[in-house]
Amino acid sequence: MDWNTIAEVLTSAVRMATPLLFVALAELYSERAGLVNIGLDGIMAFGSLVGFLVCFWTGSPFLGVICGALGGVLVNMVYAFCTVTLAGQQIVYGMALNIFAPALASFIYRVVFGVSSTLAQATLMKTVSIPVLKDIPFLGKLLFDQTPMVYAVYLLVVVTMIYFNRTKSGLNYKAVGEYPKAAETMGINVIRTKYIASIICGFLAGMGGAYLTTCYVNTYSDGIVAGRGFIALAAVIFGRWSGSGVLMACLLFGLFDAMQLRLQVGTDLLPYQLFQMIPYVMTLIALTIFGSKIAGPKSKGKPYYREER
Amino acid sequence: MSEILRMEHISKQFGDFYANKDINFDVQQGEVHTLLGENGAGKSTLMNVLIGLYQPTEGSIYLRGKKVEIDSPAEAVRLGIGMVHQHFMLVEAMTVFQNIILGDRRYKGIFIDHAARRKEILELSWRYGLNIDLEAKITDISVGAQQRVEILKALYRGAELLILDEPTAALTDIEVEGLYSVIDKLKSEGKSIVFISHKMREVLHVSDRVTILRAGKTIKTLLASETDGKELANLMIGRDLVECEYEKKESEQEPVIELRNVDYNKTSKHNGLNGVSLMVRKGEILGIAGVDGNGQSQLSQIVTGVTMAEAGEVVLKGCKVNHVTAADFIEKNVSHIPEDRNRMGLVGNMTVEENLLLKSTQDCAFCDLNGWHLKKKAMRTYSESMRVKYDIRCQGMDQEIRSLSGGNQQKVILARELEAKPDLLVAVHPTRGLDIGATRYVRDNMIAARDAGCAVLLISADFDEVLQLSDRIIVMFEGKVMGEYSGKNPPISTISLAMAGK
Repeated sequence: MDWNTIAEVLTSAVRMATPLLFVALAELYSERAGLVNIGLDGIMAFGSLVGFLVCFWTGSPFLGVICGALGGVLVNMVYAFCTVTLAGQQIVYGMALNIFAPALASFIYRVVFGVSSTLAQATLMKTVSIPVLKDIPFLGKLLFDQTPMVYAVYLLVVVTMIYFNRTKSGLNYKAVGEYPKAAETMGINVIRTKYIASIICGFLAGMGGAYLTTCYVNTYSDGIVAGRGFIALAAVIFGRWSGSGVLMACLLFGLFDAMQLRLQVGTDLLPYQLFQMIPYVMTLIALTIFGSKIAGPKSKGKPYYREER
Repeated sequence: MSEILRMEHISKQFGDFYANKDINFDVQQGEVHTLLGENGAGKSTLMNVLIGLYQPTEGSIYLRGKKVEIDSPAEAVRLGIGMVHQHFMLVEAMTVFQNIILGDRRYKGIFIDHAARRKEILELSWRYGLNIDLEAKITDISVGAQQRVEILKALYRGAELLILDEPTAALTDIEVEGLYSVIDKLKSEGKSIVFISHKMREVLHVSDRVTILRAGKTIKTLLASETDGKELANLMIGRDLVECEYEKKESEQEPVIELRNVDYNKTSKHNGLNGVSLMVRKGEILGIAGVDGNGQSQLSQIVTGVTMAEAGEVVLKGCKVNHVTAADFIEKNVSHIPEDRNRMGLVGNMTVEENLLLKSTQDCAFCDLNGWHLKKKAMRTYSESMRVKYDIRCQGMDQEIRSLSGGNQQKVILARELEAKPDLLVAVHPTRGLDIGATRYVRDNMIAARDAGCAVLLISADFDEVLQLSDRIIVMFEGKVMGEYSGKNPPISTISLAMAGK
């Protein structure tokens, strides 16, 4: 392999990692407030449809991404109401999202476009290269010649790291995920924090979904999310619930994704499905190795009632 | 002296049950006012109402004469009410510093001003003699230090009224002395304290006034200087307390279980064992005294086969055990009254009957075909007979066990464990959280088991219980055996020093 190929694979890895990173950050914010949301796939599916539709109608990928994010918030409010207000089981309602949201997206798509064999196409978001920085050899093309979404997500990683490690609000937020009753007695509004967490989670996961239809491919099709929500879920565990860890994990999974694409093109000896498995197999391996010593927020997954006896 | 707090006609209902009914309570500035009552008398509920964690069903609260609505803990903090909970409200994954500044709203700004806050906290800790390493993680500091963090946390938020919920329960004698001096210091600064306890000795020592609660109602408020332990005890339980004494025995029979130099998680002071050797003979009660969290949990798990010793030997009925499971120990007739009956002793969502028979699913009296078919009728007859024999008060055999009171839950465990006619009974905090009647019942049954030839290992943080029941006493401190004493006329002061590691 020459430098060009490597650069190509890495550029593609960064692009592949972006939706994962959005969604993994969504889960990070959710779990830091004690809410394990396994419904990421569902939120993404809905976000990708809304993003596509808006982009298709208005011709603006940016508007599409924003509306996709808001669609994600809408869907995730169902989860928030059931798990926070009604204190239901998080796994159950996360699963419910996964069943309900993609089906809803598929239904809406059919209502709008009918059943036809040709896929509707929308415009893709253009890359915006950053002057001067893009001329750095090798790295320039890799990091500074991407869509604004890519820049946004890396900025978000930095903001997340600062938020959880340096700010008062971030400390309070983490306390809710660790020991909600203690947080409550310290005057922190646990229920509000959990709703805020759900809004952030829905927004980012919806955005990750919309990225797929506005920056990655220019059509919507059922199953477009392809389990990325679950890979993001794994990235949060693999990344040990920290901003930097999640970044590393997503880049790694993105790299596997890019490699499998490259390998598919490079050889015809093996069926391409075998290469498609790589990211999922690596997720499984990563979880087997790193998932056993589960750390993470102590109260994650547990419903919270203030008047519990 | 001016009145700082008055609670009038407070009631708190959970379903049909009144945890508090028409309670009146007031606190003057600069006084220590104790709430005294048995477990379940409603002390903690009343305080949870005061700090806004529970909303009262009825009643009103006045602070410095002004009526207040405390609808959330945040509001209580704002009003200057701080509480040190019995189960500490500390985030273990965070440092002392982070725990103290959690939820702080007094300062603007997004970022944590580390240096300034640190200085402020250090000044407070110096002023009240609360020494703490601010950068240590909560998991790495002792229980006494965690309590100091809790007090500091409340003071940092400007608490004028401090509630201490059973603050001495987990402390060593020396730490308790330290707490008393902190309380004196707080009083001299004009802070008021609500002290919650059921220990007569410390109540008389520390309080100015005492209010007795029983079954959710206020019984009486007394000046501490004008009462004595006996009067308080009688008011607390509602009848004259009859001291009972059990006969002590010296067993010369063979040991049922023996530990030789057992290590487990040796480096941990609170959760490990370090070179523990002991034996329990047939027909005696060996009591393990010690402050909670000095390796007792680990000891109980090793002698019941829940965990394995990392080094040393465990000899059960003359056989050395190598690789074991709890099932092997049950087969060898070891019974276990676990320390946490809800988490380890019972399956909360299963019925009384099912819990009674949990260990007997393979018993051919209750099933055919190796357990593939249950004999429902035989099970019902048996469990009904247990209900009579052990005086289990429940609506019926199909009631979910978690809805029973603690005392009745413990009776179910007792029935299940004692009916197995054990050779070794391991009882961990067997009367924790029980009222006096149920406590007496459990203790009588343990004595009866001993007299029937069972070896009993009693592990309890209640020193009086250990003294009352044990034929021999062993003291544990930081995972080590500090000494062994006879249960007949035990040297109480020597033992309490040993419990503090001296």
